[in-house]
Amino acid sequence: MNNRRSTVFDGLLGDNTVLSALMVISPVIMCGDTLRNAEALILAFSAITFASVVICSLVPKKLPYAVKIILYAIISSLVYVPVKFLAQEFYPGIITRIGIYFPLLAVNSLIVVQTETKFFRMKKMRMIPSLIFYILGFDIVMLLTAVIRELLAYGTINSRVADLDTLISGLGMPFGGFIFLGLMCGAYRRLRAVFMRRSEERRGSNVSDN
Amino acid sequence: MFLITDLIALLAANLILTQALGTSTLFIAAGSRKHLLGTALVITIFTTVGSGLAYIVHHLLPEQYADFTLLCYTLIIGVIYVLLLAACYYIGGERFEKYRRYIHISAYNCAVMGTLFTITEKSHMYINYGTLISWVEFGLRAGAGFVIAAFILTAAYRKLNSAKVPSSFRGFPAMLVYLGIISMAIYALK
Repeated sequence: MNNRRSTVFDGLLGDNTVLSALMVISPVIMCGDTLRNAEALILAFSAITFASVVICSLVPKKLPYAVKIILYAIISSLVYVPVKFLAQEFYPGIITRIGIYFPLLAVNSLIVVQTETKFFRMKKMRMIPSLIFYILGFDIVMLLTAVIRELLAYGTINSRVADLDTLISGLGMPFGGFIFLGLMCGAYRRLRAVFMRRSEERRGSNVSDN
Repeated sequence: MFLITDLIALLAANLILTQALGTSTLFIAAGSRKHLLGTALVITIFTTVGSGLAYIVHHLLPEQYADFTLLCYTLIIGVIYVLLLAACYYIGGERFEKYRRYIHISAYNCAVMGTLFTITEKSHMYINYGTLISWVEFGLRAGAGFVIAAFILTAAYRKLNSAKVPSSFRGFPAMLVYLGIISMAIYALK
């Protein structure tokens, strides 16, 4: 049984947005193959999710669930417009390459599902740092995935050629994304289990010392 | 022979296995046959009706307002969401509580939104996506693709969640790797 206490850092470590909750995985699988893609997606995701969740927290809680979800989706679709405008200024070619995954960021699970089940059940002072760590959870996984996949699939880092003898071109394909993310999920779970066991052991030894 | 050709075409155009759209919803649906049927049916309604309405919006929305496509599609899904809940409430009666969760799960997920954006993108590239019927047909095929992907995953679900799989890889990680292998096979079919 998992009786771990929840903390504001959950989205980053204990309950990572991508690796544990499997949220927003399609952009990671499809577009997380180069650092340039990752940069654009990270900035857009962070801006859209943060602004949307904060604005959505102003929606009256007494409304029916379905109405609230529709309102949240509408708010994030409106937030998407200026973010896309800015992204086109800074990453003109990349936005075209990301294609349909760019607007899909605006209707991600953090906004349309986790708001009701997690964030809006917290007090505002706890909600905002928790939200930031959930966003960071996605950002870090996206960055890591992009760096490793770009290096191993194309032999480059941020479009600069790296000295690598063997390339695994399949890692740049969608199936490579699925497999790589699956392996990352497994590694993350293993590390989490080791850390949890160690912290429990430490807690146990502290209790026996006292 | 035609059936096999159709099946291969459906697999090759599968939005989950080729574009990773709606993967997490698929994992929920594959857990049991009952969930699979309910979720797949509702997603198919969303993608089919949504594609039809998206066709109208796509042709009415002026080019200079293309950035508002997402907002329009969000409104379309919102309308279908409310109508489906209302229909479920009046038709389902006491079973409303049981069935409404499929509608909540399916409404704003990548499988549905992704279908609408994929067909919009295809209509810019291919001339044969110029009619309402072709859009609705694409929506229906996307729903059917979800069912096929869910069946493929259901077939291995128990084994991927069994005690024989190392605990770190049991469940989602193993399912992602499995989907990756299926996706690789489909890539070879294309």
